[in-house]
Amino acid sequence: MGAGLIYGTLDMPKWGDPHSPASTHVSPYYLHHGLEHTATPNVVTSVLADYRGYDTLGETTVIFTAGMACILLLRRGRSREEKRHD
Amino acid sequence: MIEFVVSHYNYWAYVGLMVIGFYAMMAKKNLIKKIIGMNIFQSAIILFYISTSVKRGGVTVPILEHAHGGHGAHHAVDIMQYANPLPHVLMLTAIVVMVATLGVAVAVCILIYKRYNTLEEDEIIMSIKRG
Repeated sequence: MGAGLIYGTLDMPKWGDPHSPASTHVSPYYLHHGLEHTATPNVVTSVLADYRGYDTLGETTVIFTAGMACILLLRRGRSREEKRHD
Repeated sequence: MIEFVVSHYNYWAYVGLMVIGFYAMMAKKNLIKKIIGMNIFQSAIILFYISTSVKRGGVTVPILEHAHGGHGAHHAVDIMQYANPLPHVLMLTAIVVMVATLGVAVAVCILIYKRYNTLEEDEIIMSIKRG
């Protein structure tokens, strides 16, 4: 598996290359227009909370579901143990 | 050749981390060690994405300067001055999912430990077979 992954890295752009494909296609749009669209100087925040707001809403649902799963699992375990002691 | 190695060895570090995590997930018997392996695996992916956002040469975090004071929108933004913000955003989401899976996995491990008094996989399977 590692050999396959290393073979895949041979075509990757150089580290810190400003002209890599990842930083030349979409991200300049957000850097240029993020401030006038959302009035937020932090571009990460404006993308997370404004452009991808619904995704972040779904993310909070993920945290909520995980928290509820933890609470339900751990409480169920505890109540069973209490019954066993009673 | 040497220039190629210098500009690509960071990817090999992520490959190494990923293989370590995968090995821990597959080969270890202890469930907590499996969870740690899963976390190493996810951390390797997150490091890889963050490293794609790096730009050489006087680059800062993607927080725009001169943004306050009402004139901010009229300043031209030099995109070579700021790191790529999109991988950061995506990895923020991935970190959230990572924390959620970690929490649920540890909770399930606590219940397994209460039921079988061990976290070793083979011992759990033995005691299930014994009934």
